[in-house]
Amino acid sequence: MSNTESYILFELAGTAYAVRSRDVLHIEMLEHITPVPNSAPWVEGVVFSRGQVIPAINLRVRFGLPNEARTARTRLVFIRHEERTIALIVDSAREFRSIATESIRPLGETALGISGHHVAGVATLNQQLVLVLDLPSVLRTAQAESAPLVAPLSN
Amino acid sequence: MSSGDATELRGELLDDFYTESDEHLGTIRRELLALEQPAAPSEHAAALDRCFRSMHTMKGNAAIIGLHSAEALTHAAEDLFRLLLRQPVGPDADALQLLGRVAGSLEAIVAAHRREQPIPEADTLIKELREFVAGLTNHPPAADGAPASGPAAPVSAVARWVCVFSPTQELDRRGVNINSVRARLGELGEIVSAVPSVQPKGAMQFEFTVAVRQPPADPGAWAADGMVFRPALADVVEPERRTAGPSPAPSSSLYIAPSHVVRVDLARLDELMRITGEMVIHRSRLADRIARSPDDHAALQEVNLALGRSLRELRDAITRVRLVPVGEVFNRMPFVVRDLARDTGKQVRLVVDGEHTEIDKYVVERLKEPLLHLVRNAVSHGVELPSVRVAAGKPPEAVLRLSASTVGSSVVIRICDDGAGIDRTAIVARAQTLGISAPPDPSDEDILDVLCRAGFSTRDEADRAAGRGVGMAVVRTTIRELGGSLSFAAERGVRTQFNLRLPLTLSIAETFLVTAGEHTCALPQEFVREILPVTPADLLQIQHAEVLSCRGEILPVLRLRGLFGLSSPPGAPMTALVLNTDNGQVALVVDRVHGRREVVVRALKDPLVQVPGITGATELGDGRPVLILDAAALAGRRVAPTARMAERISA
Repeated sequence: MSNTESYILFELAGTAYAVRSRDVLHIEMLEHITPVPNSAPWVEGVVFSRGQVIPAINLRVRFGLPNEARTARTRLVFIRHEERTIALIVDSAREFRSIATESIRPLGETALGISGHHVAGVATLNQQLVLVLDLPSVLRTAQAESAPLVAPLSN
Repeated sequence: MSSGDATELRGELLDDFYTESDEHLGTIRRELLALEQPAAPSEHAAALDRCFRSMHTMKGNAAIIGLHSAEALTHAAEDLFRLLLRQPVGPDADALQLLGRVAGSLEAIVAAHRREQPIPEADTLIKELREFVAGLTNHPPAADGAPASGPAAPVSAVARWVCVFSPTQELDRRGVNINSVRARLGELGEIVSAVPSVQPKGAMQFEFTVAVRQPPADPGAWAADGMVFRPALADVVEPERRTAGPSPAPSSSLYIAPSHVVRVDLARLDELMRITGEMVIHRSRLADRIARSPDDHAALQEVNLALGRSLRELRDAITRVRLVPVGEVFNRMPFVVRDLARDTGKQVRLVVDGEHTEIDKYVVERLKEPLLHLVRNAVSHGVELPSVRVAAGKPPEAVLRLSASTVGSSVVIRICDDGAGIDRTAIVARAQTLGISAPPDPSDEDILDVLCRAGFSTRDEADRAAGRGVGMAVVRTTIRELGGSLSFAAERGVRTQFNLRLPLTLSIAETFLVTAGEHTCALPQEFVREILPVTPADLLQIQHAEVLSCRGEILPVLRLRGLFGLSSPPGAPMTALVLNTDNGQVALVVDRVHGRREVVVRALKDPLVQVPGITGATELGDGRPVLILDAAALAGRRVAPTARMAERISA
């Protein structure tokens, strides 16, 4: 039996990424971001959306990719994870795709030589590689890194 | 600041001040007139309260623009108001006459400032006020409860009696109900208060305090109708310790007629407040449009101002409905302390103070856990065993104080024990074994930071009450989410004290909009003591710190540009805002002050953006978030510019 799940594909530095569509609230054009002093380098600032003030993560910086100027295609992908709402800044958001669960392989098995940071696995769609975002990882390490006054716990 | 300096400030600010002063002086005059008319004590109390609030707001405004004679005068008048608010009967003719002269003098001061004429002196009047207040306080109410009021008091009350009425169905059939009782008591004298309560078995009881001309003659007849009389103990009704700060709605709950009470779901009030918040934003946009329009819209502007006033009143009214006594959470503490003291073999006396201080219902609900934690911590970590205390020369019984008071538009809650204090060296050592870095010579703030780290605990094994290492982190997070702040002070062997400062209302704050480069931030007005123009020459470099010399005081300087990693262009005009906070004073230097704005406060709930120096965010109607600065954190020097921020901006 084949389990499939709906994903939203987006692009970052020429690479396709996927995030489960049930984690995505909505996608918006990028208008104004207010920088927040003393936040983590990859926290671009806060945006205002639907009556809420929401932190926006620059995924390029988060992934250690070169930061580039925003274009007309730059999008904010609003995700909901464990009671938190976060906007991810991506180069462009593309389409909905169904991906079979068993076609997602852990990164280690692929020997692609790509860094496994924040990536849950890799899938192939129409001969194109798609990296599946590890949402908890993108957001989790956040707490320790964003506290500037005292160093994070050693564990 | 002389009036000459003041004219250099943005005219907009001064215009606001004049407009508001006119408004408040109008209110004060109107209410003073109302107070001269005979009315129910509840109406007099409400009029006095409105008068007091206007006076209080004027004081703050006068301080901000540096109009010190008006500030001193309103300050002295406030003392009189506080005293009058505590009296069961309205102010007498002498007090009203004096307050009338205060209003007149304030009017003259504001008018002179507006015309840039010499400010008339108010010292004589201030002296008179002080003497008058001293005269009243030297003749406190007699033990029988006779109020210390002059001959012109509306009621010639000689004594206060308490009447407890317990309604029953049987009495009701005979026509004896709450309304008939009120009528009968009204014949005896003036009903000062009516407090409903629910008895253990669910029966209702009403406690009336009546200022009577003559003691009730035939107690037997009253008792047959379910009423029991006893003389009131004046000092129990109004203990002196409640006078620390202006209560937002003094004693208003005492005046609610029990038959008119409605219970409302908090969610409905949230909805009302949300809609009001939206209206505030819409009005701000309207004001912007009017201001930007090339045509003269004086009439429209007037309507807009009136709308603003009504919105403020609406907001205040909703806020008041949401307020509940903080006693709701304090009440559980005696049991918690007793049980925990018994379990740990300690002796602790809990002293509760200011439990009538009112605070938003939602805040009270959210405060339950943090307060419980802090109180437990105090007993299990702060208080020593009786033998240890005696050996240290202290009484075996420890005192744990839990107090609340209203300060401006904040509520401050203090938890203070006279226990062992905190061993800084041990905390730092413990932090290091847990891999938490801490400075070698930690300040109170540093210690608090360590205590609030998730995972920090001074106990190796979790005990029953504390030591799970999550508590303090949760305490601080909760308080931040409520838009408040937590501070801490400890003396080894003497005491440990935690201060919680919480906003009275959650949703809307009066702020100054300030800019640094392209960044705009909002700064809560209640912390701003003064705004003054500065030039680079006014700022002195002392070692690595920058300071501002202001009226003989040396204030640490924090540049808003620095917070955003921007350097200051040489020679550019700047403005300093002197902030007065629990953590001391600081001069915040900004490019410009853009005037005042009411903003809808939104908490920054996500840990990614919970950073020192920022307490929340708002939106001004254009879809852009504006950060709200945390004055206490700025004054606590906890905020350093980040090199990274500079990199990002220059990138």
